[in-house]
Amino acid sequence: MTDLLKKLCLLNGVSGDEDEVMYGILDHIRTIPQKQEGEIALLDRGSPLRNLTVFKKGKKSTGNKLMLCAHMDEVGVIITRITDEGFLKFDFVGGVDRRVAIGKPVVIGHNKVPGVIGLKAVHLVSREERKKVPKTESLYIDIGAKDKEAAGKLVELGDCGAFVCQPEEFGGGLFKAKAIDDRVGCAVMLKLLEEDLPLDVTFAFTAQEEVGTRGAFGAAFSVTPEIALVLETTTAADLPEVEGHRRVCAPGKGPVISYMDGATIYDRDLFETLRRLSEENGIPWQTKEYIAGGNDARTIQRTKAGVRVAALSAATRYLHAPASVGSVADFENMLKLTRLFLSEMAQRLGEE
Amino acid sequence: MDYEQTLGRLCALSGPSGFEERAAEAAAELLRPLVDEVYATRLGSVVGVRRCGQEDAPKLLLDAHLDEIGFIVTGHEEGFLRFAPLGGVDSRMLPDREVVILADPPISGVVACMPPHVQTAEDMDKSLPIKDLFIDVGLSQEEAQRRIPIGTPAAYRGGCTPLGEDLLCGKALDDRAGFAVLLDVLERLKDEPLGVDLYVLGSTQEETHSTGAITAAYEIAPRMCVAVDVTHGDSPDASKHETFQLGGGPVIGVGPNCAVSMSGRLKALAKQAEIPFQIEVMAGSSGTNAWPIQISREGVATAVLSIPERYMHAPVEVVHKRDLEDAARLLAAFVGTLR
Repeated sequence: MTDLLKKLCLLNGVSGDEDEVMYGILDHIRTIPQKQEGEIALLDRGSPLRNLTVFKKGKKSTGNKLMLCAHMDEVGVIITRITDEGFLKFDFVGGVDRRVAIGKPVVIGHNKVPGVIGLKAVHLVSREERKKVPKTESLYIDIGAKDKEAAGKLVELGDCGAFVCQPEEFGGGLFKAKAIDDRVGCAVMLKLLEEDLPLDVTFAFTAQEEVGTRGAFGAAFSVTPEIALVLETTTAADLPEVEGHRRVCAPGKGPVISYMDGATIYDRDLFETLRRLSEENGIPWQTKEYIAGGNDARTIQRTKAGVRVAALSAATRYLHAPASVGSVADFENMLKLTRLFLSEMAQRLGEE
Repeated sequence: MDYEQTLGRLCALSGPSGFEERAAEAAAELLRPLVDEVYATRLGSVVGVRRCGQEDAPKLLLDAHLDEIGFIVTGHEEGFLRFAPLGGVDSRMLPDREVVILADPPISGVVACMPPHVQTAEDMDKSLPIKDLFIDVGLSQEEAQRRIPIGTPAAYRGGCTPLGEDLLCGKALDDRAGFAVLLDVLERLKDEPLGVDLYVLGSTQEETHSTGAITAAYEIAPRMCVAVDVTHGDSPDASKHETFQLGGGPVIGVGPNCAVSMSGRLKALAKQAEIPFQIEVMAGSSGTNAWPIQISREGVATAVLSIPERYMHAPVEVVHKRDLEDAARLLAAFVGTLR
């Protein structure tokens, strides 16, 4: 799983510009041997929201009843203006705390132009000023261009910039990379696509989750599942000096089974099912001790006449920052638990 | 001098103030083919000597510091590391910053930061002081204490890579860029006869107390010294009056810390050789090793030659390649005029 995750985390796909990730996922899917023709079918590749939706036939022909979902996009920046001196003004795409972006390298556009988010030296800042962080409007990206014309040859307005972080094993059993949110969800789905499934499953790799779960609207509407499981990451704030309940969850304590977050009240029965499957199979699990955040589930749940939703997440530190940290065991347990969930759903859902 | 390659190597090495060994080793290796003798001082500085062959020749010292700002581990809490700065760390650079803990073997770390979902808008406007920060190394308390004892140093993770066509971006360009300039000076003078005994010093601990320069200057006892360091480069959020243009040429220091004879000579040489240059007037301390070196023993005539650099003390400092070349050109010409 870590090798696949490393590959996925290296791909750049800021919300609205996910094609590199989509094609990377497609390339991987194409390497999966099919037992029969049409076993894996592409339902949607790109249009119009740039989602990737894939259907795989399973042992039981349940059709479109069950959907798994993970988003392809990551947070980043988008270029809004080029200054006369050749610096780039930008906005954040998705919810980024600007303090984690200052002084960080970025890679811009399809030509992958390297840049850094600059900030004038601390020596030139008064003691009072130092305590505050400049507003996003005063930040800029330096690509080493000598003027507006030179910069204009390298980047265009609207180009996206992704953060830079070498994906690698970290500490004792942890993993550090950018975009663990939500390449880990994508990795779990790709691993399942490689396996024989107990029922038909639709895999929705969505676009633009970070700017309002946008891709999920189209994906859920087209697929019209009865049940959906969202595979995500969720914020871990298990740091010293953070009071118990505000820690939310912690890497290493098992996949997070959500009962509620800032945007969705999850299906209680599905929550209990996931909990029971974990306990019966010796898989550690945890839940969020703080109601916060949201994901594609909120959109899927309120599609058409409604969809029953559940979410399984990897507890991740420093979400929406270049260097995020999660637990390899948690990632693997997410896969195990999802597999068990599929078997359970195969028993419960009727044939088409 | 291939600055991209040399700085690509030098900047990737960890050498925070007081723990410069890795950088010092590489510095010595790079000096060796260019000088008669290389030695290390008791406090870890590296010295390369090129003698001119004349008896009682005056000594000229060229200094660039090898240390970079960094961190030192002061405690452990739930497996996370508490730390203090080594030198003037800009704490605004720290949230989610990747660092290298210099344990044996080195360990990756990330400066921990709170997620947006559990903070208010006001929280996110404040920059956190170092005492409130921790380094995440992904270990249990027991493992962290065992593998990373209190007093273990750490440095920013990074190297040096090109930015655009003309610039280089990396950590520790302050002052490895200066040291690369000194190597370039030696290269340019390789086949030239000298009128002075030339001492090239890669000093330690400049960012903290200039300990390396103070003690090496005492040992060497030069008559003159030029310190090559960095000065503030232009960026959109800085006033043009407090920064220097990248690509505008090396910056010659003027003021009480810069002997008039030396700064005068540098200016004249630059004009004569048509090397672009800028002037930095400093009313008191230059903020470089030239300040303590000036008062070594009975006194030393000092000058400061600086490289314009953006984002000083950030892990993504930026310099212009041409400024490095022009600084080396000017300094080599300066050495050439000394008898």
